[in-house]
Amino acid sequence: MSGDWREQAQGLWEQADGLEPGEGKVRLLEEAVRLADAHSDTGMGYMLRDALIDAATFGGFPDKALVAFAWCRGQQKKDPKRFDPEGMLWKQKWVVGRIKEFPHITRKQIADALDDMEQCFATADAGKRSVLKLRYFAAREMGDTAEAERLWAAWLAAPRDHLTDCRACELDDELDHHVDKGEWELALRKARPILEGRQGCAEIPHLTYGTLLYPLFKLGDLERARELHRRGYPMVAKNREFLATVGEHLEFLALTDNLSRGLTLLEKHLGWALDHPSHRDRFTFYAAAAFLLERMLAEGSRDVVSLRLPKSFPGHRADSGYEVKALHAWVHGQARDIAARFDTRNGTDRFSRLLARGQILSKEIRPFQID
Amino acid sequence: MDHRFQVSLRGVIDLLSHHLYSSPGVYVRELLQNATDAIRARQLLEPGHAGTVRLELMEKQDGSPPTLLFSDDGVGLTEEEIHRFLATIGESSKREALAARRNDFIGQFGIGLLSCFMVCDELLVVTRSARGDGRTLEWRGRHDGTYAVRESEHPLERPGTQVFLVARPDMTEWFSAERLRSLARHYGGLLPFPIQLTAGGRTERLNPDGPPWRRDYESASERRKALLAYGRDVFGTDFIDCIPLRSTAGDVDGVAFVLPASPHFNARQKHRVYLKHMLLSESAENLLPEWAFFVKCVVNANALRPTASRESFYEDEPLALAREALGQCLRTYLVELAHEDPRALQRLIALHGLSVKALALDDDDFYRLVVNWLPFETSLGVMTLADYRRAHPVVRYTPTLDGFRQVARVAGAQGLCIINAAYTHDAALLEKLPHVVPDAQVERFSAADLPQSFEELTLDEREAVFPLVRMAERVLAPFRCGVVVKKFFPAEVPTLYGSDAEGAFRRDAERARDESDDLYAGVLEGVMASAGGEPAQLCFNLHNPVVRRLAAVTDRELLKLSVEMLYVQALLLGHHPLNAQEMALLNQGLLGLISAQLGEGGGDEGGNGGPGPRGFH
Repeated sequence: MSGDWREQAQGLWEQADGLEPGEGKVRLLEEAVRLADAHSDTGMGYMLRDALIDAATFGGFPDKALVAFAWCRGQQKKDPKRFDPEGMLWKQKWVVGRIKEFPHITRKQIADALDDMEQCFATADAGKRSVLKLRYFAAREMGDTAEAERLWAAWLAAPRDHLTDCRACELDDELDHHVDKGEWELALRKARPILEGRQGCAEIPHLTYGTLLYPLFKLGDLERARELHRRGYPMVAKNREFLATVGEHLEFLALTDNLSRGLTLLEKHLGWALDHPSHRDRFTFYAAAAFLLERMLAEGSRDVVSLRLPKSFPGHRADSGYEVKALHAWVHGQARDIAARFDTRNGTDRFSRLLARGQILSKEIRPFQID
Repeated sequence: MDHRFQVSLRGVIDLLSHHLYSSPGVYVRELLQNATDAIRARQLLEPGHAGTVRLELMEKQDGSPPTLLFSDDGVGLTEEEIHRFLATIGESSKREALAARRNDFIGQFGIGLLSCFMVCDELLVVTRSARGDGRTLEWRGRHDGTYAVRESEHPLERPGTQVFLVARPDMTEWFSAERLRSLARHYGGLLPFPIQLTAGGRTERLNPDGPPWRRDYESASERRKALLAYGRDVFGTDFIDCIPLRSTAGDVDGVAFVLPASPHFNARQKHRVYLKHMLLSESAENLLPEWAFFVKCVVNANALRPTASRESFYEDEPLALAREALGQCLRTYLVELAHEDPRALQRLIALHGLSVKALALDDDDFYRLVVNWLPFETSLGVMTLADYRRAHPVVRYTPTLDGFRQVARVAGAQGLCIINAAYTHDAALLEKLPHVVPDAQVERFSAADLPQSFEELTLDEREAVFPLVRMAERVLAPFRCGVVVKKFFPAEVPTLYGSDAEGAFRRDAERARDESDDLYAGVLEGVMASAGGEPAQLCFNLHNPVVRRLAAVTDRELLKLSVEMLYVQALLLGHHPLNAQEMALLNQGLLGLISAQLGEGGGDEGGNGGPGPRGFH
């Protein structure tokens, strides 16, 4: 019997291996992990979770990555010889980098996890560059503006080491800072190696194309923005990991008055937002969706739209007819609630300010045909 | 007068052979490329010029290394152009510089010639330009970087270029007639002008008349036969069908062959691609959309950009458009099959279901066309979606294999038809159904949903099991598990544990919290606090004799112990790993049962037939 379940777990693992990142891959590995746990096979449970952390991180389930990591972490503490913590430092980066996206995790827990990571990295003789980057993003996301400024400089000044993210990922991360500051040209200049295809990674250029839509829009280079939308959207359309990037595409469509195309994106991806573990990504999507529906209301040609929304949507209608006004109120309400939760946790007003961005955007509309 | 290049030619040649080329044999490709470029350039000047490439192998009587004369009647080079190509060589000490120069005729000419130094130490180029003053010039270059340019003492009668290569003694294997024939055919087999090889006093033409897919055939079946034979020739595989390919973007045409067996999932097929009729690569991967891994193809592209190594195409907008158009050709084939020969489509689905499913996921119209023919495994056997929907208005599926195992037996016994959607793409395909087919109803199904289909108790039965329900609720409350009693089949199943996906995740998080350190245990508390989902449920089956007897038990301790054991057993049967608390329950329960048994039997060590520990493994 024991050989039987091992074969089964192995089979699930192999099947997962052949899949693109996404929900299916995560489900298979979770199932394999449960098999190993049911048979109290710690070694197998560890190996499978190691794979599950990857799949969950790149498949849009940061909560599952966190749970799998926490379990492995427990094993490392109990038996560091057998389960070497160093082998998982790279993944610790992914996990720690995302815990700020859950509003129910406290500031103290976030700070503790970052301190703990710094210690783990120091033990492995790695420099501070990796943790400084995460500290920068945590401060930025939590609205600690002055601290973020300080950390930005410290991050870029720290030397690279064997645990630093690849150049493409770092470049992409740097763009956020420039976009925050409205340094559109600088962002584009920095992104050149990615745009020219000289540098890339698992999620680059997928993320980069989304990030650069607004800078290109602001610079009036709508042709290129359209090209990035056309090339970038198919890269992110099939993996819920990219919910926030889908939100960026949605916002771009609303900004350029491609409302019908925007509705198609809303319809297709609302299901992801409804139960997405990252409230941060939900927020980006809902805020963009609210902006789109605001445009619909402002344009005023249609009170009711036909949409195929998932059954899990609380306002689901069997006849598929949705009042634009009510739909707008709902998505805007979601964005507002998430913003309030984050702002309460953070003790800052960053998310309220992000929410207000819609009003700025509505003054910038510039129709430009995508199709 | 002799000159020497300012750069180390040796270095450039090393760079070429180690970084740019996969084998010394590519010198034939490079010379063919130069000849082809030259002939095309001349055709622009003189429309109607046919062009011929000649390879003449001159073997020595004394066994010393042979000489290859490679000649074309193309446009030839002027003196100024010779100096330009020499400058190119002089500058080509960097990989990027080399790559950039390939895009112009002269640059390519110089770099192409350099590749010859992989197989020879000395090169003589004799050329007469169609545009020049009629003089014939010669360039003699050596691998050490010395060269000389002068007017030739043996003028050519017509414009064109001759390249003389004296084989290096350790490279003579690349100069045999057989090797030259196969290399020239390999790289230039589709060129639209003759390539002739002369060796041992015989001259032969190496290439037939253009690509086989552009030839005329007597009938469609002749065409199919010829193309399948061509496919066998190229790939050594007996393909089951062939599909014409055409894209205006990139000016691509060719043929795709349907593989006779299912490829490894997502295995990117290696295609043979020609650029302007010269072989570019036998392992191009980026030519077709991802879903199209059920075919291998041969194509020629006239307007796609090759990468620096000239072994695949550069990832740019024209390639993206071409890929889309070629995908469209394959899609058209599948659509026609669906309309004209549904049985053939079903055979194809049996073989290449993954490709068909992947395309259906991407493409709504195609989805509508094929979804009904897709076969699914269900709790009542394998059936197509059409058959399923005829009999069952609501499509119910489990997304995991374990989830399916948990429900299949009981669901089947109830006559419930549940799809096992654990296979690649199945869950996503089913979830897509209501988006594409407006009246379709699709629901995810889990063990938690089973009790809805079970028979309710009568009023009397309800009263009779009330004490059991009360006790079970109290016992299972700490486990976030509710209780219900119903009647279902098969009767030998006493209880069924059901939880939704969130419930399963919560259990995972609990186990991780039990195992982890304080920091992460604290973080996980936060995660669990916000996790949604319904509480789990333990459903007792009143058709089961043990449960019926249990309902009559009045000993509260025994009742408690039995409920605990049934709960743990239900978890184990459903492959749910136990958390620390449940593990403790199991251990205590086993001991309790053993001691109860010992007490009952009055120390009788035989212990006749009571529920021993074995029963719970």
